Amino acid sequence: MSRHLSSLRAAVRLVGLVAVRAGAQTSDPLFKLDQTSRFVVDATIDSAKVAGLPWNFLILRAREGISKGADSRHIAAAVRARFASLKDARALFGNISDGELNAAAGLLEARGVRPEHLAPLKNQPRGRSIVSALTVLGDLVTKGIPSEEASSAIIKLWQGGAGDADFMGLYHNVESDILQGLNPGIALQNRMRESLGPSGKLLPRAGESETPSP
Amino acid sequence: MTEAKFAIVALTTALLAPQAIAAQIAPRVEAGALVTQQDGGLPVNNLRLAPGVSYERGGFSINARGAAWLSEQQQWQLADGSIRGMFTSPTVYGVRAEMISNASRAFSDQSLGDDQVDVQTRIHVLFKQRGGIWVGGGLARPWRVAVISSVDVTGGGAWTKLGNATMSGMLTNFSFTKVAPTLDSTNTAVSCGTAATRLPTPGASASAFALLEAAPPACSRQSRFSDAEASIHWEQGALEVNAQGGYRFGSSYDVTPDSRRWSAATATVWMSDRVALVAGGGRQPANVARGIPSRTYGTVGLTLAYWPMPKGVVPVATPKALLVKSFEVRPAAPGMQKIIIRVGGVETVDVMGDFSDWSPLTLVRHGRDLWELTVPLSPGQHQINVRVDGGLWVAPPGVPTMRDGFNGEVGILVVPNDK
Repeated sequence: MSRHLSSLRAAVRLVGLVAVRAGAQTSDPLFKLDQTSRFVVDATIDSAKVAGLPWNFLILRAREGISKGADSRHIAAAVRARFASLKDARALFGNISDGELNAAAGLLEARGVRPEHLAPLKNQPRGRSIVSALTVLGDLVTKGIPSEEASSAIIKLWQGGAGDADFMGLYHNVESDILQGLNPGIALQNRMRESLGPSGKLLPRAGESETPSP
Repeated sequence: MTEAKFAIVALTTALLAPQAIAAQIAPRVEAGALVTQQDGGLPVNNLRLAPGVSYERGGFSINARGAAWLSEQQQWQLADGSIRGMFTSPTVYGVRAEMISNASRAFSDQSLGDDQVDVQTRIHVLFKQRGGIWVGGGLARPWRVAVISSVDVTGGGAWTKLGNATMSGMLTNFSFTKVAPTLDSTNTAVSCGTAATRLPTPGASASAFALLEAAPPACSRQSRFSDAEASIHWEQGALEVNAQGGYRFGSSYDVTPDSRRWSAATATVWMSDRVALVAGGGRQPANVARGIPSRTYGTVGLTLAYWPMPKGVVPVATPKALLVKSFEVRPAAPGMQKIIIRVGGVETVDVMGDFSDWSPLTLVRHGRDLWELTVPLSPGQHQINVRVDGGLWVAPPGVPTMRDGFNGEVGILVVPNDK
């Protein structure tokens, strides 16, 4: 009887141990990385913590790569690239929200985008977010518009007082022109001419009057 | 001379197809050496030029191919050619119907060729674009003097994708009446059904008719045989490998010993997205209905693709994210947003993004083509990808995109403040 009991206990312990190990593995989001890449990712996250950067974005970056089936070395490289761009974004923009910092970091990883292109966006007035400007700039660069040209257009709109709706309006208009067969660069130039007046001030959008009606 | 002109026009058209319409047109030219040898014969070396073009739009695709040989008289001679059309119905709950028609000319040597038209329909059940099974049948009509009926073709198969490999297996049955000698391939006498019909079918060449007239006593007989074939397509980076092997079931009357088993392989190395080196070889079984004997072949050459041809040994649907009709995000409860996607004829729609810690979330179907899911999305910028039927993760339409750092694109959502 006691032999049966001890066998049962041993079996329960074994099952428990397997369950705990399996649980630990699935609760660790990065367990699929190989040992070397895991070391690189952990070290990068530690560096981000020391630098006071939002390190959770680095874990998200790694998880994105895992979910998309990227290999471990590629994921480690992507995490390191995001760490570097988060540092650059912090140096450029100072204390902005974590979300804005990550958006800026993502943009700085786009081909040809350099911190000096984004410099005019810093020191934004209180309550004005740069997220939409960065998002639309990233989209224009992804469409193949040279980063100098795209960032110059976005900066002009920003300095002309454009808000979230203006930036998203620009995105939709350019997208619509491209779908009709226009070259992305030309579509941007045309839409910019429609958006800005000769003085560089933002023109009212269609359906909006320049002065609010009583 | 006319054939040479035709070959030049086909080649020029293939190379100069304007890029504006190239989104759905895929010209391709193969040039290289082809060595063939029929049993008991001497190897034949040819320089071969094979232009091809395919066009795809919606549920319709057409693929035309041709080949020209440089003959021993140093003249280009039009050789094999085929045109293939395929209609595909929308996929409903993973099931779709397909109709495939072919018209082709094949040469068993440089002087003797024959033509065939065939039509097949099949039902194809897809398992999230990672596998599928199909059954179907149809008719083939060879323009050949010895075959006096259409060929009934029935069959089925299955395919699956495992990593970078696509594997398929299929069984095809052929049944037809032909005029054939009263001896089988092992020289054993066989019983005759009815007296041989010696009238040539329309279009049969005079030389073929003469051959038939000179043939030993023949009779009309029903032929049946089945081909079991397995194939694999594997790609890794710039390398693609296709390999297939098969076995033919049937009596010795219908299946010659040299066509019982066959195998072949081709390796393609893409040096850029438009230029590839191709080498391959193997054995082809006899095409009994068309009178083409088995042969061994080897080929090495260069492929110029104005647009890389679709890959895969089994016709697999294009990524259906392209068919997503609309993508929308609407405010739901505080801190929550409802993702609304319209796409019809699919089994599953998933999204993932930073809001889900990059774990896939499956949308819930409402009605015929409406898929919805409410997710927590705080104000600010979020990244999102969408996939249909377990296919590729792509950026949803109608939102800004960025490169994702993993050779893909990600959609960017900007959620405004609640106030």
